Amino acid sequence: MTTRLVGAPLTRREDARVLRGETRYVDDIVIPGAAQAAFVRSPHASAAIQSIAVPEPSEADGLLAVITGRELAGLRSFPVMEPRGAHVAAGEAHPVLPVDEVRYAGQPVAAVIARTRALAEDAAELVEVEYEARPAVLSPRASDLTLMRWSQRTGDVDAAFAAAAHVVTGRYALPRLVAAPMEARGAIARYDADADGLTVWCSAQDIHRSRAQLSHILGRDEGTIHLIVPDVGGAFGSKGVVAPEVAAIAAAAIRLGVPVRWTEDRLENLVGAYQGRGIEGDVALALAADGRMLALRARLWADLGGYLLTTTPIPPHTAATLITGVYDIPAADVEVTGARTHKVPTGPYRGAGRPDAAYMIERLVDRAARELDLDRIELRRRNLIRRFPHRTPTGLEYDSGDYERCLDLALELAGPDQPSRPLGADVARGTGFAMYVERAGGGFESARIQLRPGGRFLIDSSSSPHGQGHDITFAQIAAERLQTAPGAIELRFGDSASAPGGVGTFGSRSVAQAGSAVARAADAMVGEGARLAAHLLGLEAGAVRLTPAGFLGDGAALSWAEIADSAAAPDGHPPGGAPGPLQASARFESANVFSSGVHAAEVDIDPETGQLSVRRLVAVDDAGTLINPLLAHGQVIGGVVQALGECLVEEAVYDDDGQMRSGSFLDYSLLTAAEIPPIITGEVETPTPLNPLGAKGAGEGGAVGALPAVANAVTDALGGRHVEPPYTADKLWRALHGADDRPAVPEERR
Amino acid sequence: MVINGRTYDDEVEDRTLLSDFIRHQAGLTGTHVGCEHGVCGACTVQLDGEPVRSCLMLAVQADGRSLRTVEGLAGPDGELSVLQRAFTEHHALQCGFCTAGFLMTADALLRRRETGSISEAEIREELAGNLCRCTGYEGIVAAVRTAAQSPRH
Amino acid sequence: MKPAPFVYTPAPSVAGALELLADEDATALAGGQSLVPLLNFRLARPGVLVDLNPLTALDHLHVTGGALRIGALTRQATLQRSATVAEGWPLLTEAVSHVGHAAIRNRGTVGGSVAHADPAAELPVALTALDARFHLRSGAGERTLSASELFQGPMTTALETGELLVEIEVPPVGPGARMAFLEHARTHGDFAVAGAAVVLVPGERAAIALLGAAVTPVRAHAAERALLGGAAAAEAARLAGADVGDDHRRALITTLTRRALERVLA
Repeated sequence: MTTRLVGAPLTRREDARVLRGETRYVDDIVIPGAAQAAFVRSPHASAAIQSIAVPEPSEADGLLAVITGRELAGLRSFPVMEPRGAHVAAGEAHPVLPVDEVRYAGQPVAAVIARTRALAEDAAELVEVEYEARPAVLSPRASDLTLMRWSQRTGDVDAAFAAAAHVVTGRYALPRLVAAPMEARGAIARYDADADGLTVWCSAQDIHRSRAQLSHILGRDEGTIHLIVPDVGGAFGSKGVVAPEVAAIAAAAIRLGVPVRWTEDRLENLVGAYQGRGIEGDVALALAADGRMLALRARLWADLGGYLLTTTPIPPHTAATLITGVYDIPAADVEVTGARTHKVPTGPYRGAGRPDAAYMIERLVDRAARELDLDRIELRRRNLIRRFPHRTPTGLEYDSGDYERCLDLALELAGPDQPSRPLGADVARGTGFAMYVERAGGGFESARIQLRPGGRFLIDSSSSPHGQGHDITFAQIAAERLQTAPGAIELRFGDSASAPGGVGTFGSRSVAQAGSAVARAADAMVGEGARLAAHLLGLEAGAVRLTPAGFLGDGAALSWAEIADSAAAPDGHPPGGAPGPLQASARFESANVFSSGVHAAEVDIDPETGQLSVRRLVAVDDAGTLINPLLAHGQVIGGVVQALGECLVEEAVYDDDGQMRSGSFLDYSLLTAAEIPPIITGEVETPTPLNPLGAKGAGEGGAVGALPAVANAVTDALGGRHVEPPYTADKLWRALHGADDRPAVPEERR
Repeated sequence: MVINGRTYDDEVEDRTLLSDFIRHQAGLTGTHVGCEHGVCGACTVQLDGEPVRSCLMLAVQADGRSLRTVEGLAGPDGELSVLQRAFTEHHALQCGFCTAGFLMTADALLRRRETGSISEAEIREELAGNLCRCTGYEGIVAAVRTAAQSPRH
Repeated sequence: MKPAPFVYTPAPSVAGALELLADEDATALAGGQSLVPLLNFRLARPGVLVDLNPLTALDHLHVTGGALRIGALTRQATLQRSATVAEGWPLLTEAVSHVGHAAIRNRGTVGGSVAHADPAAELPVALTALDARFHLRSGAGERTLSASELFQGPMTTALETGELLVEIEVPPVGPGARMAFLEHARTHGDFAVAGAAVVLVPGERAAIALLGAAVTPVRAHAAERALLGGAAAAEAARLAGADVGDDHRRALITTLTRRALERVLA
């Protein structure tokens, strides 16, 4: 008899704290005597810094210090990741504060440390920076400076294209987006000179990467940095790299000997936090007469901004490697160029390259169906990957999946296909389908479990949550294996003083990696418990087994509470066993696992105004075994709505001078509850063989599939004309009426 | 001013925002600040029973007024309200940063209206003044709908 | 995003407020839903902030001589919930429901919305369609302006330093009047990109005020004349949008006007 907790839609335990207003986000943490930072920011997209004149510290004005790049000359720039096989210009890493030039409007130039934030903002206005403006490069194709490049060529692509019955090409682009978590970024840094210890409370996705980045930048051993991630108000990829401002206040706290706090405000977040997407590409597909895909060519350009932050090279690499999608395409020639532009750097934002790839391939496949006069579903069916593991021509190995089942379920949930209504009717209606596969999981995480009095367990996880619900999910995983109630299990996260080693919360990997580590640690604890129970019962270790009532052996039973009591007793352990509470730990590492799904959309466009209304969305996702369907559903819906925002309103707009024109929530719109259509979800569970849970990842799928589904529906409604998101009324109206110098070109004629 | 029935008496700068007073002088950090320009609704509190943006008022303007914040929603014995419980049941919160604002908006709506009299469209329209980046609003709308149908809201 | 320093002064009386506002460096604070964001962004930097909220004399909503009199400090929520307004001037009820969100309308004032003169704001357009009269007061006395006299440009009115909008008077519209307000905005509660407010008393009066056609609310006089001359909704709407330069905006204005007219003609 076992207790099935995996698969149970349990509610979260941290909610009560939130609902009572008892959470502690970083700005809620009171540190006596902490000073506040504000930043002087570049008004230019590109300029030389000629001089900086700063006000003197003043007790009367509450001004403690103004710190510029010159004072921080001893610090290193950001560490930069190098995706496998990629060339990365590490010399172009983002400095904490610049010395002689600025490369984006909004770049922090000087840190102003004062008694209050208002005083710091007052003093920041007194800092005089003399700039010599330079021309700004804003388009990645126009840039002659490459920050990252990756390419791969597999199979005889040229021959395939030469022999193909059909060649279909498309040019696609996604704008830059702002992650815009409701809590912007922020940190507090406190330095203890006697112990040479730096404590940083940081609104971050995890402790590990934040600490490693600060260690690199500050040139200080990781062991001297105590990193605490308190409650975090959302991240969506944008808090996986510490802000340059956080490194600056850490340096300031060390120099000044006072704790320093930086609470990013919304203006700073919109202009200064790294953004997502910003990618464009030319993609071509060679097809046989029967619609079989023979080869794919893709040339992508990513708008990486002025510098490389740690993870800036990752999303374009992910986009390039996933560009063949769910299709069995034997040959591919793919190249991605990450170009320097005079904008804030880009980095991961929910999906982080996955929606980019799905958007391009799924738009192209729809276009191919139109040009070949084949049913769009049938064309997909003919080319689906059906055998796993599958090696893609871009070098990925898909572990598992059942793409056709996802497709069938999506078709069933979407209902009978309604023919799109002709233009000129009172509404232009379209439907669209899109399939995706996403790289999830991968890398290592770990967990440590302790048996405590009363048969309770404390688990330290290397991962940490910012809304996903790690706590109950991991408790379910452990409780099922320990044959106890989730209530007996307490999880602890986010403190480098207690957390075991790991990487972090990103890339739809927490359940697959950190959850598997919890599972393995719980299994090890069961082994420890069995060993002790056998000893106490005078049996062989193999003669006891765990049940909900405890360890049973030879008619006797020992509960976890009794095991805990015995373990605490001086003679409770078998000879040679270490005295004290039972402990176990585990490290889990695996290759990437690949979630997948099929999304569908039905849209209407008002031909008179161009207003798009998404009538209905269907999201079928296969994230492997679901541990907690309630929370997994929440991830899907949240992701779908972010994608919907990307389709309808979201875009970081820059003017010709490189000034960000979306510097408030009045300009950078987010969707409200009143704009959300009905979303119908369906789950397919194809377990991965790569981890003990069978779980993949659910964090990003919603944001990956909905974008191309809506894009295909919009194109359908426009009778095949292609328009890039966001699908504003202005763009769609012009596409329908062909009314200006930006006409949408019907796909057939491109 | 009186917040959740308790009097707070403190000196403020003329320019101190009400949101900053509530958080940093009264120490009630359950009210969050998300944009400081009145769009996101995270800082929503009730002023004499009606929801207002605390980032768009000066602290000095609330002198002598009565405020209610998220810390004042649970019953005197600490029991969560029907609305608060519905938020958990419907997984209406993920990161939790926007939650207090939604609760204060929805609580005021429920107090204004009789049980069972609020349509889903109305709920969505009322909640449109609060932004959530995690949930896609589904759970939040469902929670408010459940609470609106409960006789004890 | 913290305001630059200023001196906060609650207005002791209307006369006292006028005295304080005679200072070039003083700004009036009403509901604060537009001004405080500007303070927080440091885009507005008054030396003195004169808080009008204590002036309860300006917070009134009543009908005298058939005309609706709206005290400048009347909250938008009060306007929205008023049965008198809904009955006699439903255009205002409809327009105000598009202003921000409930929490914004609870603080935001009708006078503040008018005096701020945002070209994307709904109330100035609805008041323009209703031939509202704007009563201003200063140390030198009182004057009354029409909408076209008051609204001079984006965020610009004829209000002078030391002058305060104290009341808005909306004349009676007559029995049988039909009204409609339609707008196009990106998201719910967002500022409008385009909009149309129409008031029609068949055979007697036709008023069409447009949002987004110009930098201030404007009346579509040609369309109004055509309507009274018996033109159909589509023809009147075409005239209303005729002068709008941008073609999509023209399409929006024309469509919204036509739909609003169709509603009142139905």
